Amino acid sequence: MAFEFRLPDIGEGVVEGEIVKWHVRPGQSVKEDDPLVEVMTDKATVMIPSPRKGKILETRGEEGGIVKVGAILLTLETADGAAKATAEKPEKKETPKAEPQQKQSAPAASQSEPSKGRALATPALRKMAQDMGIDINAVNGTGPGGRITREDIVNFSSAPAPAKKEAPPKFAVVGGSEKVEEIPFRGLRKKVAEKMTESKTHAVHYTYVDEIDVSQLVSLRNSLKDEASAKKVKLTYLPFIIKALVEGLKKYPLLNSSLDEQNGKILVRQYYHMGIGVATPDGLTVVVVKNADQKSIFDLASEVERLSEAARQNKIALEDLKGSTFTITSLGTMGGMFATPVINYPEVAIVGIHKIEQRPVVHEGQIVIRDRMYMSLSFDHRVVDGAVGAEFTQYVKKFLENPALLFIQL
Amino acid sequence: MLQILNQPTAEKILAKEDLIRIYSEMLRLRILDQRMLTLQRQGRIGFYGTATGEEAAIIGSAYALQKDDWIFPALRQGGAALLRGYPLVEYISQCMGNAADKTKGRQMPSHYCYRPANFVSWSSCIGTQIPHAVGAAWAMKIRGDKNVAIGYMGDGATSQGDFHVAMNFAGVYKVPVVFFCQNNQWSISVNIKQQTASESIAIKAEAYGFKGVTVDGNDVLAVYSATKAAVDNARAGNGPGFVEAVTYRMGAHSSSDDPRLYRQDEEVEEWKRKDPINRLLKYLEQLEYWSSKEQESLEERLTQEILDAVAEAEKIGPPPVETLFEDVYSEMLPNLREQMAAKLKR
Repeated sequence: MAFEFRLPDIGEGVVEGEIVKWHVRPGQSVKEDDPLVEVMTDKATVMIPSPRKGKILETRGEEGGIVKVGAILLTLETADGAAKATAEKPEKKETPKAEPQQKQSAPAASQSEPSKGRALATPALRKMAQDMGIDINAVNGTGPGGRITREDIVNFSSAPAPAKKEAPPKFAVVGGSEKVEEIPFRGLRKKVAEKMTESKTHAVHYTYVDEIDVSQLVSLRNSLKDEASAKKVKLTYLPFIIKALVEGLKKYPLLNSSLDEQNGKILVRQYYHMGIGVATPDGLTVVVVKNADQKSIFDLASEVERLSEAARQNKIALEDLKGSTFTITSLGTMGGMFATPVINYPEVAIVGIHKIEQRPVVHEGQIVIRDRMYMSLSFDHRVVDGAVGAEFTQYVKKFLENPALLFIQL
Repeated sequence: MLQILNQPTAEKILAKEDLIRIYSEMLRLRILDQRMLTLQRQGRIGFYGTATGEEAAIIGSAYALQKDDWIFPALRQGGAALLRGYPLVEYISQCMGNAADKTKGRQMPSHYCYRPANFVSWSSCIGTQIPHAVGAAWAMKIRGDKNVAIGYMGDGATSQGDFHVAMNFAGVYKVPVVFFCQNNQWSISVNIKQQTASESIAIKAEAYGFKGVTVDGNDVLAVYSATKAAVDNARAGNGPGFVEAVTYRMGAHSSSDDPRLYRQDEEVEEWKRKDPINRLLKYLEQLEYWSSKEQESLEERLTQEILDAVAEAEKIGPPPVETLFEDVYSEMLPNLREQMAAKLKR
């Protein structure tokens, strides 16, 4: 028989939740307690385990969509008869069905009650309906247990039969051929927006750009390519840049800090967790390479690869997204010339890495072709003065221009 | 901070049977909490507060009491009621608010009461139970009973007026009460650092004229010994005592809370290494009181008992509808009688 699973009130008195992630698909079999779906309410994000064993017939609602408490989340085909030795023996099918009703909001009750007899409404709303010339018994209640809400009366008066709010039309026609696509603003997109606004509201950004001669770095990396592929590591420039930045952060610890405005303290981190911006199909994510100072070039390379891949496939652990102390943003080959990176608040600095290009430059009195790269660093001027930011950049630059220094641990 | 596990003095404190009983109660609480939280996510109970990480503080302190002593719990002491014979089915039924719930589904879930063990229901409002415990203890003193009342609280409750009023009153009247504070570092999202400027919570007792001790709350022997000393002292007529058990709430504040929003995973990991159940288990193994075979069969038995009790509780229906109208007045008023008749007719 089919068992309808309704979204329970997973907080105290929450009315709806956002579907974060489905862990099951129709047709899939589940055991009792298997994870079904992750739901975010205004209080918490929780995993909802299956209340029973069976086969998923239908899931309702898209990821990112809102579902009301008491609404059907999914239906399960449960095996009748066969009483398995799991504790909640599936034999007493009838009792659990009554279960959501015996608690507070009883969606099932709403179907039976309003139709017969007196409508459920508070005296104030009865008076309101009366004043508006509305027969309250004709209003369809959408509140708990079919109770009539203020909105129900307003909707009833404004439109004769206000259709329930369906999903907005994909294209809202403004006039003639001017079409507008409406994209729901939520999930990661919304999180990115919040983080960016927070950063720009708090930090006082200034950006410092310098050009770096990375000819030696390019040949160093090329010479290590065979070694790397033997170890099955994809060696990019990022691990070298991370190493150089860590050296810089050790010399200028203030750059590895955050400002605790509330308690009036600058918290200087004595560990080096490097955040790395990764573009995913859903938006920007910052993955975190923990204790970057203790890792070798190859370790860093494989860690960066693992994290970016996990982020792109949306399989990243929460653990790998937290705790960065400094952040790198890199656009790879689309790196352009320079940019004004937005600080990963509450950190105080971020570095933008740009494309390496061969350019004609004056080198030792001659015009020669060299590998050059721009680096854009944004600092929070409240903590990092211009001179400090510049000194830091120059110090890091030294390592990138002469990468041998990285290996003698200056 | 008092620590006893693995110290030379440990062996004299409790006999093997006591240690195994305590261990089994702690483990039961751990498994039960896990099951109950799952039931909450599935919509089968309304709300739950787990005691995960604080089992030593709860069971160790309650074990130091005598049968007729009174318990005024806070949110996480359901395990103390179970220790004193509260049937599992009733415990689960309370969270379901079904017909077997003594509070008839009108009390918040996870707020147990069990009269045969003098385990009093909690009001939810933080700290209200502390003056209740003092009042009960004062009554015992006046009546000449040889009992003690224990008032449990979290670290957050110590910032409430009720706490200070109760402490002062208890000190002045020298009532047989023991205050037991489970300092689990977090009052929902407020860290202990924001809770008090005092060097400890126990030190506050001195201001009210009695002794306070701080113990390692994840060391069940330390908890037991300190509580036993305070309880014995109170029973002997020497006035109140205070025990602060330094422990950690490894889970969320309640089923409505998401601690990932306000605390670091590293901190949780660090406390996991001090898990009170593991510490006792290691101690038992060291004394060769316990084997992995016994562990396996105990886990299996406890899990099955819990699953059976859940199944049994789910068979019990909701309280009769007329109970909604009872218990308000000793004699039902005409308008209530009318409403009840109308409801029953439907």
